[in-house]
Amino acid sequence: MGTISFRAVSKTYEGQGGVRALDAVDFDVADGEFVALLGPSGCGKSTLLNILAGFEPLTEGAVHFDGSPVARPGPDRGVVFQEASLLPWLSVWENVVFGPKVQRLAKSDYEPKARAILKTVGLENFHNALPVQLSGGMRQRVGIARVLVMEPRALLMDEPFGALDAQTRLSMQQLLLEVWQKLRTTVVFVTHDIDEAILLADRVCVMSSRPGKITRSIPITLRRPRSIDDLTNPEFIRFKAMIMSEMRSFQEQH
Amino acid sequence: MSITEKQTGTALPALPRLATRLPYGGRVGKAILGIVLPILLIAAWQLSGENGSLAGGALPTPDRVWQAWLVWAFGTPTFGLNPYVGTWVDSVLFSALRVAKGFGLAMAIGIPLGIMIGWSRIVAEVVDPTIQWLRPIPITAWLPISIALFGIHDFGAVFLIMIGAFYPIVINTTQGARDVEKNWIRAALMMGAKPRDILVRVVLPAAMPAVFTGLRIGLGIAWTAVIVSEMVAVKSGLGYVLWDAYYVGRMDIVIADMVSIGLLGFLSDRLIVAIETWALRWRRLQSFRT
Repeated sequence: MGTISFRAVSKTYEGQGGVRALDAVDFDVADGEFVALLGPSGCGKSTLLNILAGFEPLTEGAVHFDGSPVARPGPDRGVVFQEASLLPWLSVWENVVFGPKVQRLAKSDYEPKARAILKTVGLENFHNALPVQLSGGMRQRVGIARVLVMEPRALLMDEPFGALDAQTRLSMQQLLLEVWQKLRTTVVFVTHDIDEAILLADRVCVMSSRPGKITRSIPITLRRPRSIDDLTNPEFIRFKAMIMSEMRSFQEQH
Repeated sequence: MSITEKQTGTALPALPRLATRLPYGGRVGKAILGIVLPILLIAAWQLSGENGSLAGGALPTPDRVWQAWLVWAFGTPTFGLNPYVGTWVDSVLFSALRVAKGFGLAMAIGIPLGIMIGWSRIVAEVVDPTIQWLRPIPITAWLPISIALFGIHDFGAVFLIMIGAFYPIVINTTQGARDVEKNWIRAALMMGAKPRDILVRVVLPAAMPAVFTGLRIGLGIAWTAVIVSEMVAVKSGLGYVLWDAYYVGRMDIVIADMVSIGLLGFLSDRLIVAIETWALRWRRLQSFRT
């Protein structure tokens, strides 16, 4: 399970005139689907994710996750933040077991799992390091590990690799592909990077701003498993051209 | 970054060593620099005194003070009338213990209350105005009430110290709890943290840098408070000796007492700084790098 449905969801931020961040958005994600939300900054893609995560209330409409209305954050929807947002006073290990610990789960259940996940993300030798001692890419690996250990039904990722250098971003995309191709959980991935969206997602939803709307939903039929080598695949380039023209045509209309 | 190459498990980047960054040598060099000024001041004071005193005999020179302190600290008490023989340690302990008690109480009340005020709007609206009205009342103004309530008794001093140290602790803790990064709270909620977990595992540690600022300011006020209250409301400790020695014209003891207070204040502050350095490793590294 891990189905998501947005029905006529609007979000207006209070203030001078009120900013309409989302305008009557309809959006569905099937169980196990990887959807990328692609758009320029300020198009409301992060707002959409925050509403789904339960961090922000919506103004109008309804959001359901697995059939129940979303009211508050919870471990069924694991969020990966842009800057990782690890708790800086906790070690890598303590950050990763934070979720199971506050959920009062049995140590014997989560400790082997946490160890295995840290190994998967390549941090088995850094259990005792503090976040500040890690590079940005390593911090984000911890950010992913602490979510995976909770076995969420959906992963919500808010430009998780946006702050990383190009090299590190590629290796993180590769890592995410490998992990996801095994887990097949529902993923909503917010990005402004066209390559990243095509490489990772089953479907790319292109968003436009003021007011934030999903203008087009494009299925990416590239075969799986994928890897970063697909970035130069002719089929990949075709999707890229299609999305770029979509984004450009929308800009010209406005 | 070097840590990615070094796959040595628990190997962490070394802590910044600020002391060795000075061009004229390490810790020792820094310590020597720090005592140059006091030595010069003491020498000038010594040299300006004639016949062991200055200002027309009102102030003794450092050698006289040192002699008086030696007797006060190590002399064998007799049945004579001189109370300044071998009683220094007792006086120090009386004062230090009062500071420890009052400061401990201020921490025990101030930190949890500050966290609650910073975290909960309702608690802030109920409690914060009262604190802000009471805060301008100086600790000296609390003396009569303290004596009326507790008499010439130990707890009177402890009470004043607690009041004095409480405000900086509660105010800084409140500020720290208010400034917690939004995404830390969101991340914790997302991982299933209950309100109690948020307070204990996120807000409190996030507020610790501000808490320590409050503790250091509070400790300084605690030493002021103990001296003031011992001068008026209790019959023991360094503050009592200070006033008593003045009345009997023992300015050498007065100065030795002042130096003792300064030393205790300094040492207790170093202790807090040492705990802070240890508890906030995560932050020290952070501030050094960015």
